[in-house]
Parts: sequence; C-alpha cells; structure tokens
Amino acid sequence: MNLLHYTPGSSFLHRLNPITKLALAFFYGVACILCDSVLGEVGFILLMLAISAAAGLGARALRLTRTLAILGLFMFVLQLLFVRDGSPLLVIGNLCVFTSGGLKSALLLSLRVIATMLPLMMLFAITQMNDLCNALVKQAHLPYRYAFIVTTAFRFVPLFTTEFREIEDAQRARGVEFETKNLIKKIQLAAPLCVPLLVSSLKKVDASAISAEMRGFSRRNRTSGFKEYPLGARDALAMAFVAVLIGISAIFL
Amino acid sequence: MAEMVKFDHVAFGYAPGAETIRDLSFTIEKGDFVALIGANGAGKSTISRLCNGLLRPTAGRVTLCGQDTLTTPTSRLARSVGFLFQNPDRQICENTVRDEIAFSMKAQGWPQAKIEERIASALDTFHLQGDWFPFERSRGERQRIALAGVLVCEPELLILDEPTTGLDYLECIGIMDYVKTLNEEKGVTVLMVSHDMELVQSYARRVFVLNDGRLLGDGPVNTIMKNTALLGQARVLPAQIPALALCFDERFADVYTVDDMEAVLKGGHPL
Repeated sequence: MNLLHYTPGSSFLHRLNPITKLALAFFYGVACILCDSVLGEVGFILLMLAISAAAGLGARALRLTRTLAILGLFMFVLQLLFVRDGSPLLVIGNLCVFTSGGLKSALLLSLRVIATMLPLMMLFAITQMNDLCNALVKQAHLPYRYAFIVTTAFRFVPLFTTEFREIEDAQRARGVEFETKNLIKKIQLAAPLCVPLLVSSLKKVDASAISAEMRGFSRRNRTSGFKEYPLGARDALAMAFVAVLIGISAIFL
Repeated sequence: MAEMVKFDHVAFGYAPGAETIRDLSFTIEKGDFVALIGANGAGKSTISRLCNGLLRPTAGRVTLCGQDTLTTPTSRLARSVGFLFQNPDRQICENTVRDEIAFSMKAQGWPQAKIEERIASALDTFHLQGDWFPFERSRGERQRIALAGVLVCEPELLILDEPTTGLDYLECIGIMDYVKTLNEEKGVTVLMVSHDMELVQSYARRVFVLNDGRLLGDGPVNTIMKNTALLGQARVLPAQIPALALCFDERFADVYTVDDMEAVLKGGHPL
C-alpha cells in the first residue's frame, strides 16, 4: 500500500477544511521544532498516533512512523558521531566514540524528525489533492497554476513509485540481481533505472500538460470550481488546539 | 515432449483476500507457441509474471524447467526466460543500442568476447545501429531494440506481453515473423499475451482462454477460435476470418461445411 495515498473517511479530521488540515500539519510541526525535550518529542509522536487512531488511521500512522524511524536512525547515527558536547560516554582506547551531549542531541533530533514529518505525511491520508488544490485557490487566493503544480507534484509520487517498480521488474527479468544484501552494489544496480524513470516521467508530464491545456487549464481561475470550502467551528477548534500545543511546547518543553 | 512451464493449483492475489488467479493448473511443453487471451483483468499479465518469478504464487507451485519459482531468484530464472514488456521504455536503460543489447549478457556474467560476438549478430539481425541513442528512436525501433536485448541471451522460453501494441502493420509482422522463426527452427517456447485475435490466429498454435483468473479453455487455435460460446464467455471476439467462416457456415450449413471452406482456402476444391 502506498503511504501517501488518500484514505476515505468521515472522521473529525477528514471533515476539516483542507487549508485547516494543511495549517494543522504545519503548526504541529512548529510545535515539535520548538520542543527541546526528548520526552516532549515522544509525547508529540504518541499524540499524533492517538489522533490518527481516532480518525481510523492508527495502523497507517504506525507504518509511517516505522518508515520515518529509518530516516530518524540515520540522523541519530550522524548526530551521535559528530556532536562532541558534554562528557565522554563511550571511549575506546584514546578515541571518544560519543558523548553525553551527542547522545541527547541524537535522540532529540531523530525524534523531532519523526514528530515533525508524521503529521505532514498523515495530511495525505485525510486530504484529497483536488480538494487541497481547490481550497488553496478559493480560500487562500493562490493562483491556480501554482496550486496545481504543488498538488500535482504530490499526486505524481505514487505514480512514479509504481513506474519505478515496473522498471525494476523489467531489469530483474533481464537477470539483474536486486536481491543482493550489499548496499553499495544495490545502489550501483539501481542507478541505471533512473534513465528509463526520467524518460517515462518526462513523457508523462508532457502528456499531462497537453491534456490539461486541451481542457482549458489556462482559463481556469478562482471562480471556476463548483465546490465550496467554508471554514467552520470545527476548524476554529482544531486551530485553537494546535495553538495550545505550540504554547505548551514553547513555554514548558 | 519435455515440460517447460507447469502451474500446479496456483493461486495469486495482489492484496490479501482478493485473488487474481484461482486454482490454475496447466503445462506448457517445450516448443509450444501459446497465446493467453481474455478480457482486461482476466489475469493474463499476472500469469506471464508468475512464469519468471516476478510474482510468486500465494498457493500452489509454478515450475520453470523443473525449477520452483518460489525458491529460485528471478535473476537465475532470467537465464532461461526472456520477457518482452509491452512498453519498451521500461526495459531500455542504456545510452546506446550496443550497451542496451549487452546489458542482459553482462548482468548474467557472459564472457566479453561472446558478448561482442552476440552484439554484432543482433545488430545485423534486427537492422539496428550500435551507436543509436535508443530513446530517440521510433516506437517500432525501440521495441526491436528491447527484443534484441532479450533474444541475444537465447532464452528457452520467450514471454511476450502484448508485444505489438503501438506498432504499425509492417513492424508488427516483422517482429512476429522473427519470433515464429525462432519457435519453429530453434524450438524456443513462446508464451504470448495479446488482445489482437488476428495475431493469435496467425501465429499461436495453442490458446489459453482466461476469465476472472480461471482457465476457461485450452486447445489448438483453430478449435478455440471456432468456439464462439467460449470466447463470448471470456468477453473476446474471434478474429475476422474465422468469424466470417462461421457466419458462412451458419448461412450455408446445408450446402457447404467448414471443411469445404478450409479446402477452398487451401485452393483446389471445386466450389
């Protein structure tokens, strides 16, 4: 299953205005960045998992967290090895492997990456890209061309993922051993796949552009959309909630 | 005849609980030319991908020359199977035709001298030039480049997934005639997925009719093409010439038989 795919639903989160959802994801990330405590970051991750579970997306949020944890682990190792503040915690011979400051910084940064990115990734699960694009045009008065570019970029991600898998299959069928455990060899094998992916992507983008133009893309403006995206009480409530989170994070954490 | 591919009560689904292929059993002998026909979503491409290990069965067993696809890596199965994809752009990944043709042989660890010899032969056979940039060539040429890249390794089984989509008549005939020659003269087993019934009628000797992941029919091409009830069940229209012959047969059943018509087509019958 694609981790960026929209999951239909009628939960409180699903029914929010698309712009509110975008703002919530952004400001939740701000709250995570302002937080300077490891426990605080863990709290933000758990809170997001609970919110997702309430929207019926608990399993998906867990899968996303696991995926983000790989990125977090990478950040953890980098911070641990390169931040030299505090007292040495592990010394081998004359070499200080990592320090207390490095460990704290590594924990904080890796958890912050997960906590910040999780709501942004969950945004895709509860928002249809068309709705986000139209709401940005109608409510935020963003020119349609720019809103379309942003939302189309996200819409193309799963398409490119599928295309990449197909290309990988084609090369596997020709005898390329992607089954290797050697990471460097794996990268060397994957590099040639970028050429067909780039070619097919450019062709797809070109075809989409022509198709859009043929359907009057350039004449579209703020009044073209039929669907309205009014802001309501639940949007205000959600924004108040995230404002409280930012306050708590800035003052107490 | 020795068996090339064997499906033994195979089931497969892309998602849990949703089976695309259900309890499928058949055997393809060495030297067969088999066409898989059926409507979209019948499971044709899935079967072709199960044959070379790109997909693994969720139940049952698929064997290729006696090797179980569940336990043998696709890269090893690729030494026996050539797979031509519908879209050559997914296959082509090198900057010159020469490198593209060499790609499979290098991946399979062929000696350099043999690779050079094969490239020269393939360029000549498929009327290609080694220094061409593949992505700038026509669709037909790209399909020929992809086919050359597959056949250069001399596979025992050749799988063609809608090989003539987007090709003009001459390009289509050129590619299919070459495949027919390989099948008849070198004994290469061919498994072709196609929606083009004229192509199936002209080149395949055996046809599998699929519907909703199940094998509805398996038989010689002429027998299958005459069975309009079976084809209708699979939502497939027969090729024009057999369809015309069947109409003729129904209209003049009391005057001429299908055998008479076949004799007329061969020439010499005093009709």
